[in-house]
Amino acid sequence: MRAWTSSASTEARAPARHGGVPRALPAIKAALFVLALLPLARLLGAGVFGWFGGLGANPIELITRSTGTWTLVCLCASLAVTPLRRATGLNWLVRLRRMIGLFAFFYAVLHLGTYVWFDQWFDLRAIVSDVIKRPFITVGFAAFVLMVPLAVTSTDAMVRRLGRRWGTVHKLVYLVAVAAVLHYWWHKSGKNDYSEVGWYAAAVVLMLGWRVFDRLRVRSQARSQAQARG
Amino acid sequence: MVIPWVGFPLAELIKRVEPTGNAKFVEFYTLNDPKQMPGLSSSVLAWPYVEGLRMDEANSPLTLLAFGLYGEVLPNQNGAPLRLVVPWKYGFKSNKSLVKIRFVEKQPVTSWNRSAPQEYGFFSNVNPNVDHPRWSQATERRIGEDGFIQRKRPTLMFNGYADQVAGLYAGMDLKRFY
Repeated sequence: MRAWTSSASTEARAPARHGGVPRALPAIKAALFVLALLPLARLLGAGVFGWFGGLGANPIELITRSTGTWTLVCLCASLAVTPLRRATGLNWLVRLRRMIGLFAFFYAVLHLGTYVWFDQWFDLRAIVSDVIKRPFITVGFAAFVLMVPLAVTSTDAMVRRLGRRWGTVHKLVYLVAVAAVLHYWWHKSGKNDYSEVGWYAAAVVLMLGWRVFDRLRVRSQARSQAQARG
Repeated sequence: MVIPWVGFPLAELIKRVEPTGNAKFVEFYTLNDPKQMPGLSSSVLAWPYVEGLRMDEANSPLTLLAFGLYGEVLPNQNGAPLRLVVPWKYGFKSNKSLVKIRFVEKQPVTSWNRSAPQEYGFFSNVNPNVDHPRWSQATERRIGEDGFIQRKRPTLMFNGYADQVAGLYAGMDLKRFY
């Protein structure tokens, strides 16, 4: 199953079940692009002009948490594309997936960058000891590292070059999503406050669970067809 | 953040109420009124909010009962009408909106200690040498003084009050009694 696929992928060329690609796709993509930039615009507006009540008493914490949240939102959205496509038959949705995935990476870069720059001030020793000593940071850092190959192989040229292996590489997104939720979960565990992270965990479990279920269904269908033939 | 509190030493109150020699600890209770305090609907802690100090900590002249800040009466959000201020401990040790103070023989089970003992100990002294499980406590950014686009400053032992309070913990392993 492909994660952040490109417009050059086979799905795009294959005939769509319901009417194919809408004329408005470029407009939809542009709107999605602007929409995905709104969280950043909000932070910039609050930080530079003091809009929306500013960044509060602890700006670094607010920026870190906001960019972390939006990373997770984009990850969940990218995982939702395939189930949504299957449920609605709107195959062109897959054309939006690369952008969503890259925005997840974009916010992850801002999230990690805020920590490395403003929180730790490039203190490499402190950062390394954080990554080693604190499981929630270890797993968050792992999630980021695993996202790098996904972003690097997101270009059309890489999709073509990797061919079938591209899909295999991009299965990493499942691991990324699990690690990202675990990162947030463990961060909240100190105060036993799972009210928000619980929703993200449920979303990831639901969407990965759907894939397992789908895989089993396809396999049992294939088996019964083979039996019917034999 | 360095705040000019308005208050009086808790030691003064202790002197007036004359607890017996059995009093080894002091236990503080915050108001538990969901009508005024919507945050109490959260299940993060078992309410009411309870904190505690050892008798010698409570008798330190630095331990205050505060009813104001910046020359004004305490706003509700800062713990009106009366709150505890323990300047060499992390903020959560200083109960707001006190409704009850008890003198007890055994170490009180404090709210955070009860909720997450692996993270929050009874003493909760500001100590740059002992990490919180989820973060280092070696550096800090002082709100109102430090901009956030600058390196954090090193945190001082006992929040800068080592000369006044280090003696209370002489001989104690502060890694174990965090």
